[in-house]
Amino acid sequence: MSNVYHNRFYAMGTRFHALLPGIEETQAERVFYRIKMEVERIESKISRFLPDSDLSKINRTAAKEPVVMDAEMADILSACQYCWDLTDGAFDSTLRPLMEYWKKDHEDSAGEKEFVSIKEKAGFHHLKLDSSLRTISFDNDQVELDLGGFGKGYALEKVKELLNDSSIDQAFISFGESSILAIGNHPAGDKWRIGMNNYAEPGNSVHEFQVNNGSVSTSSNFFLDDDGKLRNHRHVIDPKTGKPHEPFTSVSVSAESPVLAEMMSTAFLVSSDEKIKEVMNHYDNLEVIRVHYESGIAKVTQF
Amino acid sequence: MNSINRRKFLELTASMAGTSIMTTTMPWFNIFNNPASHGKGASDQLRVGMIGVGSRGRSLYWNLFELEEELNFDVVAVCDNYEPHYERAVGLTGGEANGYLDYREMIEKEDLDAVVIATPLHEHAQQTIDCLNAGIHVFCEKSMARTLDDVKGMYDAYKESGKVMLIGHQRLFNPVYLEAMDRIQRGDIGPITMMRGWWHRNTDWVFYTGTGGRGTALDRQRNWRFYDDYSAGMISELGSHHFQVANWVLGNQPLSVMGSGSINHFDDGREVWDNFSLVFKYPEKIHFSYDCITSNKHNGMQVQVLGNEGTIELESNMQFEEFPAEPPSIQSLLQSIEEDENQVVPIGGATWIPDAPIRLGGSYISPDYELNDTLLYLEAFINFVRKGEAPEKLTREGYDASIWTLLAEEATKTGKEVTLPEKYRL
Repeated sequence: MSNVYHNRFYAMGTRFHALLPGIEETQAERVFYRIKMEVERIESKISRFLPDSDLSKINRTAAKEPVVMDAEMADILSACQYCWDLTDGAFDSTLRPLMEYWKKDHEDSAGEKEFVSIKEKAGFHHLKLDSSLRTISFDNDQVELDLGGFGKGYALEKVKELLNDSSIDQAFISFGESSILAIGNHPAGDKWRIGMNNYAEPGNSVHEFQVNNGSVSTSSNFFLDDDGKLRNHRHVIDPKTGKPHEPFTSVSVSAESPVLAEMMSTAFLVSSDEKIKEVMNHYDNLEVIRVHYESGIAKVTQF
Repeated sequence: MNSINRRKFLELTASMAGTSIMTTTMPWFNIFNNPASHGKGASDQLRVGMIGVGSRGRSLYWNLFELEEELNFDVVAVCDNYEPHYERAVGLTGGEANGYLDYREMIEKEDLDAVVIATPLHEHAQQTIDCLNAGIHVFCEKSMARTLDDVKGMYDAYKESGKVMLIGHQRLFNPVYLEAMDRIQRGDIGPITMMRGWWHRNTDWVFYTGTGGRGTALDRQRNWRFYDDYSAGMISELGSHHFQVANWVLGNQPLSVMGSGSINHFDDGREVWDNFSLVFKYPEKIHFSYDCITSNKHNGMQVQVLGNEGTIELESNMQFEEFPAEPPSIQSLLQSIEEDENQVVPIGGATWIPDAPIRLGGSYISPDYELNDTLLYLEAFINFVRKGEAPEKLTREGYDASIWTLLAEEATKTGKEVTLPEKYRL
């Protein structure tokens, strides 16, 4: 029987579980609290809910004047821009106003007019990043950055560095179940066997990723609540149409880099098969599956 | 207080009627289920006076003003020995209250049913005793008095007079505490093993500038909290709130207190600590550790009840579980590690989101967090005045907290472990 330290905390609106097998408890405890502090640091920087975060300051000010960012924030947004470009706009962190629009019912023509106006003003091309001055500005005051499809993966990227610096060679981290980091092998040997939940058949997996020093990120247009029910939050917007992605879909991406897995799963949820394959050619060892839930059945496409 | 919150609060007290919380731990909440009946006419109107209308007194006045019509009483007189204050207070009443510089003149002339006292600590005792002896019910701001003899003197006068005497520890009327106490007694956080509390600020604590600096007669009057003759500083002005809470949560007064204090940052001629640290020993081998500092606000203010299975943070309305149930997928994974068998575990998928709002992993104790407990306390006081009596336990909470506030001060000054002298034991 192996001993395993496990502990949890809550961050970014979900739960964070850390399993650290095979190390002494006092060391595991110190590593755990360092992880927690790091995740909280990132949340306090990039959360759009916290008024003092760097992101909130950008959202408040960047339409009025260029906002100077620290190096980390500049790197984050430059990664977002790169990914937006690479995925032909499928990864776009500026769609929050459209999400808000679709949370309400709109049937009249006034709604349609409002929609057109919001859609025109949303999109990453309304952002201007100046890498030499390290500034960001928006070209209209409707732009709002939302790093929801990025933050958990970024946090795990930093956690991965931290574990490496702490010489931890075995760990399993689940950030809200949708972002997973698996370091080393399962204590029983071989890679971590990470099943993807089959929501049509609870307790079963639609797919298994075998991971060593890598991560799996899942994006879906639904959340799972405590009763195990799927809830479509209409929070995934197709940037091309500006409308919510309606069918229950999830995309899971396994990659060595947690932040890459996170961004790609976000983008691939609204990408064509061809585009997914094209982007996959840019990277080694990217594994992608897409699951459509239709009339109680999970249909899996493996890329 | 908006009517929805008010209704929810009344539902809460009604739902808890008859529970041990309402019969034993916090019997004073029953007053909201059984308020005193009263007519609406002028002959049924209670006459209330205020002694001390500085910063706290003024805020008490606004609370009374909100209740006057509903409870049919009138603030007919205000008194402050600092003229600008009582003039301002008369102004607040629209000129209707009479103003006095001397409270003795006020109680002699005004035929008062009740007074609300918010004066410097060292003045409480004589004012309270004089009012009680004159047959007037008293609501006095915490802490009770500057000396142990004065605290006891107030209590004795209250007993002899048969009038109501309540001490303004407003947390006694906070619905969060009502629910928290219920959970603690139910055993939600397991056996209590420790309490911790702190009140940290970054402020010079100067209430009034332009007094000519520390040591002048005007500064002694206005910034009385800095002077040993008048106040025990933060021990009486801040700590006493939380000492009362600890007594109440633990259902006992301490066995002893140890502590230390110093002036290490705001050394401007003040005579009271700008930081201190205390350890109270309670029965059942429980410690309550408490500290105060005015030169760093990072930790803010808190009272924690630590149990073997959970933590309650009273000031932030939060409860934390020590060992929340693991989600099934994490349980399966842990099992696979413990049994040394690498199996596929369905663990990935859509993001888990909580049913209720979470903050750092805890859950809120009571939704009625924003209720104005000072207002509820004053509402209860007026009702107790009409009934002519209040629960003895409510007055005792004030007495015990005031006694232990002064014993804590003594501990910080002598460095000794201080116990309760027999003559102050009730």
